[in-house]
Amino acid sequence: MYLPERYEFFCPVKINSGNRALEHVPFELDALNARKPLVVAGKDVGERGLVGVIIDAFKDSGLAIGVYDGVPSAPDLKLIRELFNIYRDRGHDALIAIGGGSAADTAKVLNIAVSGKPEDIEGCAGENLIKKPLKPLIIVPTTAGTGYEVSKYAFFAGRDYASHFLMPNLAVIDPRMTIPEDAVTTAAAALFALTHAAEAYTCPGKNPLADAYAYTAIQLIMANLVNVIGDQRDKNGRLSLANAHAMAGCAFSNVALGVAHKLGKVMGDLCHLPQGLCMGMLLPRVLEREMSEGGYHIADLLLPLAGFDTYASTAADMKARRAVEIIHDLLKDLSAANGGAISRIWKDIQVSEDTLQDIAQRAGVNEASFDIDGCAKILREAREGR
Amino acid sequence: MKNFREVAAGKKSLKKDYVAVMMWFMGRAIQAAAAVDMAAKKEFAGMPDGFTFALSVMPNGPHMIIGKDQRGFVRYKGWDPDGNKIDLDMKIKNIEAALLLFTFQESTTLATARNRLVVDGDVAHACAVMRILDIVEVYLLPKIIAKLAVKRYSGWSFRRKYLGRVLVYVRSIFSF
Amino acid sequence: MDMPAYYEFCCRVKIISGHDVLERIPATLAELTARRPMIVTDKGVVGAGLINIVVNAIGNGVDIGAIADDVPPDSDLRIVNSLARLYREKGCDSLLAIGGGSVMDTAKGINIIVSEEADDLMRFSGANALKRALRPLIAIPTTAGTGSEVTLVAVIKDHEKHLKMAFISNFLLPNACVVDSRMTLTLPPAATAATGMDALSHAVEAYTCLAKNPLSDAHALAATRLISENLLKVTLNPGDKEGRLCMASAATLAGIAFGNSMVGMVHTLGHSVGSVCGVPHGACMAILLPYGLEYNMHKNGHLTAELLFPMAGAPVYAATPKEERAQTVIALIRRMNQELYEATGGRHARFFKEALDRDGREMVPKERLPDIAETALRDGSISYNPEDLDYDDFLMVMEAAWEGRPLDTGLIRKG
Ligand SMILES: [Fe+2]
Repeated sequence: MYLPERYEFFCPVKINSGNRALEHVPFELDALNARKPLVVAGKDVGERGLVGVIIDAFKDSGLAIGVYDGVPSAPDLKLIRELFNIYRDRGHDALIAIGGGSAADTAKVLNIAVSGKPEDIEGCAGENLIKKPLKPLIIVPTTAGTGYEVSKYAFFAGRDYASHFLMPNLAVIDPRMTIPEDAVTTAAAALFALTHAAEAYTCPGKNPLADAYAYTAIQLIMANLVNVIGDQRDKNGRLSLANAHAMAGCAFSNVALGVAHKLGKVMGDLCHLPQGLCMGMLLPRVLEREMSEGGYHIADLLLPLAGFDTYASTAADMKARRAVEIIHDLLKDLSAANGGAISRIWKDIQVSEDTLQDIAQRAGVNEASFDIDGCAKILREAREGR
Repeated sequence: MKNFREVAAGKKSLKKDYVAVMMWFMGRAIQAAAAVDMAAKKEFAGMPDGFTFALSVMPNGPHMIIGKDQRGFVRYKGWDPDGNKIDLDMKIKNIEAALLLFTFQESTTLATARNRLVVDGDVAHACAVMRILDIVEVYLLPKIIAKLAVKRYSGWSFRRKYLGRVLVYVRSIFSF
Repeated sequence: MDMPAYYEFCCRVKIISGHDVLERIPATLAELTARRPMIVTDKGVVGAGLINIVVNAIGNGVDIGAIADDVPPDSDLRIVNSLARLYREKGCDSLLAIGGGSVMDTAKGINIIVSEEADDLMRFSGANALKRALRPLIAIPTTAGTGSEVTLVAVIKDHEKHLKMAFISNFLLPNACVVDSRMTLTLPPAATAATGMDALSHAVEAYTCLAKNPLSDAHALAATRLISENLLKVTLNPGDKEGRLCMASAATLAGIAFGNSMVGMVHTLGHSVGSVCGVPHGACMAILLPYGLEYNMHKNGHLTAELLFPMAGAPVYAATPKEERAQTVIALIRRMNQELYEATGGRHARFFKEALDRDGREMVPKERLPDIAETALRDGSISYNPEDLDYDDFLMVMEAAWEGRPLDTGLIRKG
């Protein structure tokens, strides 16, 4: 088994998952020495009744909580200042973010402010500029969560943040919160997570601890994604996917970001497409390219993708190829399972040759085997569905 | 601020009442089992006289308190932790977890495996209490539920299963 | 793969692993704003020259406040108290624990006293009695086995009052563990074999017992694979640096798995043999592991069967019929014990009858088996075992493990 000469791994996130997980939050807060959390949620979350579930979970706890459920999709610094004042004036000592996206980003950045002073938000933007642990942060993912919310990354008001101290102390995955979403949202979130997990599992800087998270995430996605897309009533499937996304977030916080991530992110932003769908369609093509450059961890990817039996019965020199095929098959199955919405997005991608060059340039890929021409070639292949 | 509100601490009275009643019954049944069941007797014999243990729900009850008095008799001592020096407290982390336990959706084994219980006190005695809870569950529950509640539902003689069950029921209700 | 209806998983320890990572200690201390660590260790570690390696690797940048090397093989309240006094006298601000399980437990105990400014450690026993972060603690394991560098439990004994206190809290997790292959290079073959089998038992029990979850499973599978590939190799060739690093990583992975998913009857009985007869923990694990799997077979045989993949590799897994895989795993563990027995010149015991102390005396006399079975009834790990065991069952298993014959499956009372 492969073991690197040297590695570091850090994941402060505790995962509580399953039936009545939210009711354990007061106990967990006590262990974090906190007793008055401020709940931060998006508008949609409030409208869908999910805030009520949280409030109910605290009912017998003896704890009062603050609830803000108005985070817009593009929050600004004014919101941070207002929430900062509430946090300070009302004696809060912990944060709970519901859902991914802007609510989680707001909570992470707010945490920088309440753990120090509001001005720190500027000084801490960038890579590893937070120097000490922040206040307790709990993330409660919903189905739309991609795993980004439990990662070390945050994006807020035009600034990028990356620090292990931004990772939550706890991710609470409760079936009452992982409610059905439309097929495109569900698939985009899962493919976002699958891309991160697969790239963490095959990258040169991989280590056995990040691998454990990535391996489990891949397994759970492969076992559940097509089912959930076909049948949104699959409650256990949705819970499993939310678990997988959180685990992928832990894995990719401990390795360098991969090519499919970088290209897919820029492509999603420039072409106004869900990033996860872009990453998903790029992933097998990036892996193929890496394979031809001798990326020998790709064969190992067959194990979480297909399980012991398929791995064992596939010839050694065919394993990597088979792994890539399985991802292609997954994409096909997803298109088939939802009656067209996903495949329509993939088919109708209108990316001009110029945009394609633009994406390749902006993605900032600096791996030796992926120069700008190489990236453009992959994007072209994906566009043409080859 | 718009969209902000503070929510005061609430109550789940009905659920707590249900758990309290079940604990009352369970407590009486433990007292009864200690008098009629050889295995339960043996488990209590391993505890020092004056030893008191509780099964309770965090953060503020209900509680089920069982004590062994100075002469070695096992008594259900009610639900009020005040005035009792509790040597071993087995705490269920929240009322919903307690409800799963007392509606028999989750056995004590599963609750332990799922980290829903916190043991405060000596682990050796906690093991004995877990076995006593198993014994009492087999007495009180119909076979189909008890089979799920305990790891091994077998090896009980006809006499222990049926006569014992009657005795435990009668003693739990009339308390002697 | 089954998703449990509810599970929890956590390992907050920063893990730094490699051939030359002791050199990372100063930077790690600095990140934790610590300047003057106290080293906690034992005479064995000092005797093996490991403290010198650490001190040299740390270099001049860090001011070592004190080196306490008198931790006994069994953690002890009196020592914890006296070392806490030393920590204060020397004005230390952090702890470096270098050693095995007892050193880790002792350092965790010291940390409670010095951080909480307490006189009475007992006040903090039980679960979650600690409410805030303690002083920075960095763990440097010197055995590839216990996994206590990544667990949140400390067990400290009060030998005067005959009490064994358990402390459980997230705050007891070390801030970081530094796993360096140089720390296990000099571990003698018999200890290598025993501690390695302890790690294997953590992985196997976490994977096959009741509190398993997908994430701890992944850790357990990776650990099992690394141990199966490397344990015999490093026992035969102690200087194998790559193999040592693999074993050290495996122990950490297995520690994370069992820290989250707990262990079952192998540990229940192993703890009891240890406390009644003083047999080293790893030696007990090696002997008992196949018995635990045999006893639980009717409940978790399908899980045991899956372990054939990491234990024997893909070709053997594929070539073994499904219904034979679990038995093959048990046979492989027994074969591993046999090979380790040969590799250590007979010092790695295959069954309790042949477990001898330093003077060649039998450590587990047959008449002590009832005491062991009795003691097992008081061990918490039994909750997580798939099948129940009462006194008679424990005794039945011990008798087989004493003689070294497989369990008579007819005697297992199946629930
Ligand atoms: Fe162990």
